[in-house]
Amino acid sequence: MAVDAVAPAVTPRRTSKGGGLWRYIVIRLLLIIPTVLILVTLVFFLMRLTGDPITAALGGRLPPDQLAERIAAAGYDQPLILQYLQYLGGVVRGDFGTTITDRRPVIEILLQYGSATLELAIYALIVAFVVSIPLGLIAAYRRDRWQDAVLRIMAILAYATPIFFVGLLLKLLFSVWLGWLPVSGRGSTRTELLMSGIDTPTGIYLLDAIRLGNGAAIGDVLWHAVLPAIALGLLTAGVFLRLVRTNVIGTLGQQYVTSGRSRGVGEMRLVTRHAFRPALIPIITVMGMQVAMLLAGAVLTETVFEWKGLGFMLAEYLKARDFVAVQGIVVMIAVIVAVTNFVVDIVAAAIDPRVRY
Amino acid sequence: MSLHSTRGRLGLAIGALGVSALVLSGCATSTGGDEGGAGGEIVVGTTDKITSLDPAGSYDNGSFAVMNQVYPFLLNSTYGTAEVTPDIAESAEFTSPTEYTVTLKPGLKFANGNDLTSSDVKFSFDRVVTINDPNGPASLLGNLDSVATPDDTTVVFTLKNGNDQIWPLILSSPAAPIVDEDVFSADSVTSDDDIVEGEPFAGQYTITSYKVNELIAYKPYDGYQGNLGAAENDGVSVKYYADASNLKLAVGNGDIDVAFRSLSATDVEDLSKNDKVKVVEGPGGETRYIVFNFNTMPFGATTAEADPAKAQAVRQAAASLVDREALASNVYKDTYSPLYSFVPQGMPGATEPLKELYGDGSGGPSVDKAKEILDAAGVQTPVALSLQYNGDHYGPSSGDEYAAVKAQLEEGGLFAVDLQQTEWVQYAKDRTADVYPAYQLGWFPDYSDADNYLSPFFLTENFLGNHYDNPEVNDLIVASQTETDSDKRMEMIGQIQDLVANDLSTLPLLQGKQVAVVGAGVEGTTLDASFKFRYAPLTK
Repeated sequence: MAVDAVAPAVTPRRTSKGGGLWRYIVIRLLLIIPTVLILVTLVFFLMRLTGDPITAALGGRLPPDQLAERIAAAGYDQPLILQYLQYLGGVVRGDFGTTITDRRPVIEILLQYGSATLELAIYALIVAFVVSIPLGLIAAYRRDRWQDAVLRIMAILAYATPIFFVGLLLKLLFSVWLGWLPVSGRGSTRTELLMSGIDTPTGIYLLDAIRLGNGAAIGDVLWHAVLPAIALGLLTAGVFLRLVRTNVIGTLGQQYVTSGRSRGVGEMRLVTRHAFRPALIPIITVMGMQVAMLLAGAVLTETVFEWKGLGFMLAEYLKARDFVAVQGIVVMIAVIVAVTNFVVDIVAAAIDPRVRY
Repeated sequence: MSLHSTRGRLGLAIGALGVSALVLSGCATSTGGDEGGAGGEIVVGTTDKITSLDPAGSYDNGSFAVMNQVYPFLLNSTYGTAEVTPDIAESAEFTSPTEYTVTLKPGLKFANGNDLTSSDVKFSFDRVVTINDPNGPASLLGNLDSVATPDDTTVVFTLKNGNDQIWPLILSSPAAPIVDEDVFSADSVTSDDDIVEGEPFAGQYTITSYKVNELIAYKPYDGYQGNLGAAENDGVSVKYYADASNLKLAVGNGDIDVAFRSLSATDVEDLSKNDKVKVVEGPGGETRYIVFNFNTMPFGATTAEADPAKAQAVRQAAASLVDREALASNVYKDTYSPLYSFVPQGMPGATEPLKELYGDGSGGPSVDKAKEILDAAGVQTPVALSLQYNGDHYGPSSGDEYAAVKAQLEEGGLFAVDLQQTEWVQYAKDRTADVYPAYQLGWFPDYSDADNYLSPFFLTENFLGNHYDNPEVNDLIVASQTETDSDKRMEMIGQIQDLVANDLSTLPLLQGKQVAVVGAGVEGTTLDASFKFRYAPLTK
C-alpha cells in the first residue's frame, strides 16, 4: 500500500442531537435488562443460602411431616435451578409469588405499599433540595469563612448520623416533648378511614386527599409527613449540600462569571443563575445514586415512623422470616434503582450532550 | 392416650381463648358501661397481627380478636366471667355421652341478609376439619367425629370420646366461630377481601373498612341476638402498630383511646404515672417456666452419671433457689406475678404446692433448703447446668429474666450456670432434639381450663418431649378429662399438681396479667378470665 495513499473517507457519525439521544436511550434501556437479571439472580440465590422460605418462616412451628408437605406443595423440594427458572418466569409475568405469613400476592404488596414509599421519597427529595441548594450556595459564596465551615460540618453530620437516630430525636423533640407533630403513621384514624373508602386510590395520600377535595385531610397528611420527610431528606441533603458547594465554587471561578461581575451583574444573580445552573448537571447525575440511598433509608425511616411503605413491610417480613415477600420487595427495589438511574441518565444526557459520548 | 392430646399446640403463642364452664375468680372492669346508648366512637391500638379472618386459616391472638367481634359462637362467656353460656344457641347440652346437642335461636341472620341455620353451623365445623390448615385450629376439633343437622335449628355433635368436659369450651374457641356457607369456601381458606365483601358477620359488629394489619373499622350489628347484648358505643376503629413504643406514645398523647396488647412492662409503669390515661389489669393465662430434659440434664438418663434421684434433687434445689417475686417486680414491673404451680392462679383447681415444698416455705428462695436437698441426695456442688433461653419469641425482657435466674441459681455457689441464647427457629428444633438440658418456654392457653395446663405437658406423650413419664400422673389426667362430677374433677387436678410438684418436669416461674391502658374518660374495659377482649362495652 502506498504510504501517501489517501485514506478512505470516513463516513461521518450521525451527531445530530435527536439521533444521538435516541441511540443513547435505546442502549441505556437495553442495559437495564442484564442489570435487573443480575440483581434478580443475586437476590434469589442469596436468599436461598438461608434455606427454603417455608422452613425459614414456619420451621419449629410445624411438625416435620407438615413442614415437608408444605415445602413440596410450594415446589421448594425441586432442584434449585428449576426453582430459579420458575421464579424468573413468574417475575417476567409480574408474579412474584404469594407471601407465606399472610397469604397475599407479593405484587399486591408491591403496588399497595410502593406508592407510600414513593410519596415519602418525593417529600424527602423536596426537603433535600430546599435545604441543600440555598445552603450549598451560601457555603460556596462564603468559601472558607465561618459560614462555610458551619455548613460543611452540618452536611457531614446530616449524612453521617444514623437515620433511625435522627428519626427518634425528631420524634422525641417534636412529638413527645413539644407535642407539635404526630408520633407515627401516614394520617390520623379519620384520614386513614377516609382513604380506605376511596374507589381506585392512587395510594399517594396527598393526591387522594386532593382528589377528595378535603382540606382537613390534605393538612393532616402533610402534617404526618413532616418528620419522616425531614429525617429521610436530611440524609440526602448533606450529600447535595456538599455537591452544590463544590460545583458552584468551580463555576464561580470561571471566566464568564468574572466577566459577568465586571459587567455589573449582581452577586445574587451571578451565584444563583450563572454559577449554579452549570453546576446542576453533576447534582442530577448523583441524584440517581441517591435514590438507592433514599430507599435504604426508607426502611429505617418508615420503621421508626410506622410509615407503612415498602421499607416498613420489608422490615416486617424480615422479622417474620417471610423470604418470599422479602425477595419480591428487594427485587422491586433493585428494579426501581435501575430504572431511576436510567431516567436520570437520560435527563442528564438531554441537558448536556457531552454525556452521550 | 389422652382425649385431648391433639389439642396442645407446642405451647407457643396461641390465642388466649375459650372459656371455662367454671367461673374464674379474677376479672377487671373499669366502671361504667352498663347503660346502653351512644358511647362514642372508640379507637383501639394494638401490636397484634392478623393472619387471616377465616377461622379455618388462623389461630393467633390478632386474628381471634377480630373474630370475637364479628362472628357469633354457639357458646360464649358474658362480660366479667369465664362461664360459657349459650350465645346464639338457645340450649346446649350432652344428650348422650358422645352426643352434644345445640338448639339455635330462631330467626338468626347474617349482616348480608342470609339466614343463619344449622347448615351454616355444620359447614363451619366441617370446613375447619377438612381444610386442616397448618395455621388453623383444626387440632382443637380432634374429638369431633361428625356433625348432624336434623332440622334448621338443631345441631348434634357426635364425639369420638364420651363425656368430654372440654367440649363446651371448644365451642367458644377459635375453632368455633359460625360462618356463612354462601361466602366461605368449603375446602380452602377464604381471602380477607372476599370475607369483608361478603359480610358474613353475625356477631356484635360488622366490618365497614378493612386494611390488613393497618386499620379496621367496626360498626355495631343490630341483628346480633347473642348473650353479650348490643354494642354500647357507636363504632370502633382498630389501628395496628408495629412498634410498642409508638403504641405507648399514641395512647399517652390521646391519639387512641385504648392500647391493648402488647405494651412493655416499663411502658406500662411509665403510663401509670400519666394522668391522661389509666391502667386496667385483669387475670392472665400466660405462664413462663423452665423445662428440664430428663435425659440430658445433670444426672439425666442418658448422661454418664445417670441417677434419677440426684437429677430430681437438682430440680428441687433449683426450685428452692428461684426468687419469683424478684423476677416479677424487678424484670416485669409487676405485670407478671409469681407462679407456684403449673395451673395459674384464678383457674379453677389451681393450688400452690411449690410454695410450701421448696425455698423458705412461703414462696421465697432459700439457699439452705437447696443445699439440704443436694446434700441429702449426695450431689456434689457446684452443679454445672446449661440453661437456654430465647429473646426473639418470648420478648426482649427474657434476657433480663434469665440473667436474674442465673444469678439466683448461683447464689451460695450451689450451681454454675452456663446461660446461652439461641434464635427461635433453631431453638424450636434443638429443644425437642435433646440439645438443651434446661430451657425457657412460655404458654398461652388454648382454652380456659386447668386441663390445658396439664395434659399438653405431663402426659407420657407430651409436646415438651422432655422424657418425663409418670404413669400415675398420666392416668389421673386422662381420668379427669371425662370426670363429670365437678368437685371430683377439681380434686384430681389438685392431685396432679401435687405429683408434678414433686417430680418437677417443669419449674413454673411467672404468670402473666392482661393489661390495657385506656384514656381517662374511657369506661367499660373488661379483662376477664375468658381472655377475650371485647370492644362492645367500651364507651367514652
